Amino acid sequence: MKPSAATPYHQAAEPATAEARAAFEKAAFAALAERFGATLDPLDQWGLTAVVDRSRIREVLQFLRDDPSFRMDTLLDSCGVDYLEYPGHDLPRFAVVYILKSMVAVSHRLRLKVWVEEDDAVVPSVHDLYASANWQERETWDQYGIVFEGHPNLKRLLNHADFEGHPLRKDYPAQRRQWLLANDPMIDQLEARLRVLGYEILESPAPTSPSLEETSFGRKK
Amino acid sequence: MAALEHPAAEQTPSGASSLRPGPEGVEQNIFTTSLDAMVSWGRSNSLWPFPFGTACCAIEFMALAASRYDIARFGAEFVRFSPRHSDMMIVAGTITYKQAPILRRIWEQMIEPRYVISVGACACSGGFYDCYCTVPGIDEIIPVDVYIAGCPPRPEAYLEAIMQLQAKIMDESYVKARAQRAHERIHIG
Repeated sequence: MKPSAATPYHQAAEPATAEARAAFEKAAFAALAERFGATLDPLDQWGLTAVVDRSRIREVLQFLRDDPSFRMDTLLDSCGVDYLEYPGHDLPRFAVVYILKSMVAVSHRLRLKVWVEEDDAVVPSVHDLYASANWQERETWDQYGIVFEGHPNLKRLLNHADFEGHPLRKDYPAQRRQWLLANDPMIDQLEARLRVLGYEILESPAPTSPSLEETSFGRKK
Repeated sequence: MAALEHPAAEQTPSGASSLRPGPEGVEQNIFTTSLDAMVSWGRSNSLWPFPFGTACCAIEFMALAASRYDIARFGAEFVRFSPRHSDMMIVAGTITYKQAPILRRIWEQMIEPRYVISVGACACSGGFYDCYCTVPGIDEIIPVDVYIAGCPPRPEAYLEAIMQLQAKIMDESYVKARAQRAHERIHIG
């Protein structure tokens, strides 16, 4: 939510005391439970984590962002969690967690959690609600293999293009290394970004770096 | 001063210069050496570093290049950011698998003879990043001449490495390397 003349950021900030946070968490969970059937996360040990169904995550985020009593204008992070071999865990294997904060009302903090089954790891993308979700969802796809439906460019963010598997899954051997044999050019992403900024691409360069297949690159699996 | 003067220098009228034309001054103005020694002397005292800095080790390199440690004393102060202008690559920092082809490519673009200094725990062995994304030592990709231990190493360690590299270059034989190249080109036996 953009700061308006009525509530500029520097005046609207009330102190984030423990009482204010507890009061917000109580009110927020009551509202989410009533409107969206949210439940409390039994694994949470700090603050408030509301579990919602993945089919309603977009509604919930839009409500929290736009409702004047919540004003959660910042998606600090969204990430995946793998609960494989977690002690006593009988819920779905994966979760996607959204961490929200309000820059206007500083005591407003909240986490949302969506359970995701392993054989149906698809979650609706929220990149149009929070711009920061774009790269966060790419990273979650890269590291956990969770697909974000409706994402405009769901490519790997951290690992290289030839990487096989998803390394933050608990069943990926942590020391299994994979060589990148060809270069990983990002000209297409650069050009897409330039077009968004209003530039016109007159000529697209041919790949100037030959593939490392042509070199004496020492490769080891 | 008198001890430094050559007996023949006394014949110069001004005494300002001992350089004299003529056959009688030749032995003062010419020295003989081997081509290897001359080339190696030139190479070891005019190293042009290419800093491939990806992490905190590169900060120590900045200290090294500044006036307190001052690699200009070793003839290596001209930091070039084009691999085609430089012959000493300083790999300072963690190399990931995504970065590895870039490092290899830049090393291939450097002119020969080229030397590589691997700086710090990450570049030498992967350091504590024993995981899926970090190359366990850049010698998996490119040949390394000198390794520097440390996390990050102090600038003195850089200086020690440059001096060791200079000693290594002084041991090289330009003539032998040239003969080897000629041998490979004409395919004898």
